[in-house]
Amino acid sequence: MLEISNISKSFHKKTALDSVSINIEAGEIFGLLGPNGAGKTTLIRIINKIIEPDYGYIKFKGDVLSQKHLAEIGYLPEERGLYKNMTVEAHALFLGQLRGLSKSDVKSKLDYWLEKFQIQDWKKKRIEELSKGMAQKVQFICTVLHEPKLLILDEPFSGFDPLNIQLIRQELLVMKANGKTIILSSHNMESVEEICDRVALINSSKKIIEGKISNLKEERKNNEYAVKFRGSMIAFVNALWTGFEIIDKETLGDDTFIVKLKMRGDNHFDDLLKVLIGQVKMEAVWEVLPSMQQIFIDLVQTKQEADVQ
Amino acid sequence: MYNSWLIAFREFKERVTNRSFIILSILGPLLVLGLIYLLFTLGGKTQKHWNVLVIDPAHLMNNQMLSKEDKSITYSFGDAYLETKDFEKGKRFQKFDAFLEVNEKILTNKTAFVFYREKPSSTMKTRIQYHCERRLEELLVKKFTKFSIGEFRKIKQPLTVGFRNVYDPNDTSSDVRGWVGLFYGAVIFVFIFLFGMTILRSTSKEKSNRIVEVLLGSVSPKQLMFGKITGIGLAAFLQFIIWTVVIGVGLFFLRENFFLDALDTVKETANSLMETGGESNQFFANKAYNQFVELVYERINFTFMTGYFLVFFVLGYFFYGSLFASIGAAAGSESDGQQFVLPLLFLLIFALYSGYYSLENPESTLAHVFEYLPFTSPIVVMVKLSLGYATGKGYELYLSILTLILSTVVVLNIAGRIYSNGILQFGHRVRFKLLWRWMKK
Repeated sequence: MLEISNISKSFHKKTALDSVSINIEAGEIFGLLGPNGAGKTTLIRIINKIIEPDYGYIKFKGDVLSQKHLAEIGYLPEERGLYKNMTVEAHALFLGQLRGLSKSDVKSKLDYWLEKFQIQDWKKKRIEELSKGMAQKVQFICTVLHEPKLLILDEPFSGFDPLNIQLIRQELLVMKANGKTIILSSHNMESVEEICDRVALINSSKKIIEGKISNLKEERKNNEYAVKFRGSMIAFVNALWTGFEIIDKETLGDDTFIVKLKMRGDNHFDDLLKVLIGQVKMEAVWEVLPSMQQIFIDLVQTKQEADVQ
Repeated sequence: MYNSWLIAFREFKERVTNRSFIILSILGPLLVLGLIYLLFTLGGKTQKHWNVLVIDPAHLMNNQMLSKEDKSITYSFGDAYLETKDFEKGKRFQKFDAFLEVNEKILTNKTAFVFYREKPSSTMKTRIQYHCERRLEELLVKKFTKFSIGEFRKIKQPLTVGFRNVYDPNDTSSDVRGWVGLFYGAVIFVFIFLFGMTILRSTSKEKSNRIVEVLLGSVSPKQLMFGKITGIGLAAFLQFIIWTVVIGVGLFFLRENFFLDALDTVKETANSLMETGGESNQFFANKAYNQFVELVYERINFTFMTGYFLVFFVLGYFFYGSLFASIGAAAGSESDGQQFVLPLLFLLIFALYSGYYSLENPESTLAHVFEYLPFTSPIVVMVKLSLGYATGKGYELYLSILTLILSTVVVLNIAGRIYSNGILQFGHRVRFKLLWRWMKK
């Protein structure tokens, strides 16, 4: 769907992107991660043809990306605004027509979205009459109004309450199911883990990793397991032998615990089960994979340490 | 291009539905008309009252200047010669603002002198001269003819001798016309400044409320800039048309209802001193107003001037408008932008001065330079157009237009670069070095 090839961009003496290449498949939700100032927004602006790269190229559905493709792209920037004295409908008409829709199309699609979000009575309201969260919803609607094939969302969840975050997440999943491709740049790792298929991490203008979330987690797992059990903590500790190391403990009520432990030597999951069966009443045992948040922090910190050295 | 029109249309709609635009469109021209009315009616009434001592040792005036009282002037008479020093210091003369010396030679040399303490206004000068002239006319008619003054005025035809250039027999190049050109040019620059500031504020606002990035996802920065300038320009033009129509109709209305043409010779000749004396305020107001209206309605070739006015209005507006837009886009904050308006403001003031300079020295080398400089040409060419190009020099006009078109294209391009580079930069300080770097990108 989108082939980003060796994109470099500098602003005066500061390098914003350094030979970044990413491939985004059609129909996936792709997470673009990175700390502030890493170069994500610059890359997104280049994809939207707001700025031109110094080097490299981008292909959209096999063609070199050009202005004509913008009608097939929807973009919700991180720093987004609306004209305060315009009504919701006037906004939708203006932005929808800019994206190539006819007036009647805009009106029917706007009605569909307002009904879907159950906010039909906002139609004639001016933006200055809406709260920040309400305005965010309008911005989202204006971004998806022209049913873009590629949707680029820069921090789409910022400013939303948990209910609305859930609503937007669901909408993104519906769009994915309808074959749309979505690029999501966010610091909300929970959402990234929940809805993204693949991610790329950009740090200090370079791409550090790219891949499926499950693969990234698998590659970085640390042989850690968690056991939820009922019974005595002493009995649990006694049952374990030197092949296991307790790294964390959480008490749930009087006799229920969740213990995180790490395998030592050649011990496996089966060995853990063998030593615990009969000693405590196990309710659940699972492998602990690193969260995306953890992977993100580890990778960024490793890079910073390497830079210092 | 279509997207630029959408941007322009939105901008236009926002401007014309704005309360201040509507108020300015209605109240502005009405205010101008009101001021014109006050200027010509109250101008005479609010004038200081003068006491004039007529020194008439030969008793030519028979101690009479007007038969009816004039609210602006009271004449008193004296028959002894008066020295200016006596008048200046003499206690009994302190109540007089001026003295008019009429001696027996006036019948031959037709000259009288007024010695004043404070310089009289031009209306006051006209009044005294007019009163004196009319009184003298009565005396001369009585002394040298058998006609009554009424009969004399019936047959008397005022004669105006017009001096015309053989190369310009229609007198298209009179000073008054030059002023009209300067007025046209000044209108261009006033609108450029007012709506240029609107462009700047609108750009800064879009930048600070961050809608600009949403727009840039659909249109290029240059399309956005062009659309914005066009939309605001259309609003400016609409306001200009409203002003022109309302003021035009209003002037005509004033002429038909409040300032009937008292200078019409047919009406005037039958008037005697008795009749004109008491009505002189209205008389002089009408005289001045009708000269003004005559200038507006009859001496200006609107079709010709307005055609070129539109060309220079549009080109000048785009030339300066793109500079205002680039400043708005380049500024890190709104106050930063205001600071960079100053050089542009100086340029606009300089352009106004260049128009005046060209009016005074139309054939000077500097006037020719100003004619081709894109910063000054919209006003200078309007002045030159109204003064008239000399035979064989008509090409200068087309050369000015061509230079302005080319300069506007270049400036739009340069401003577009600054706009593109600056529109997404926030919180920085604008320096000329930075602008120069953006210009080159």
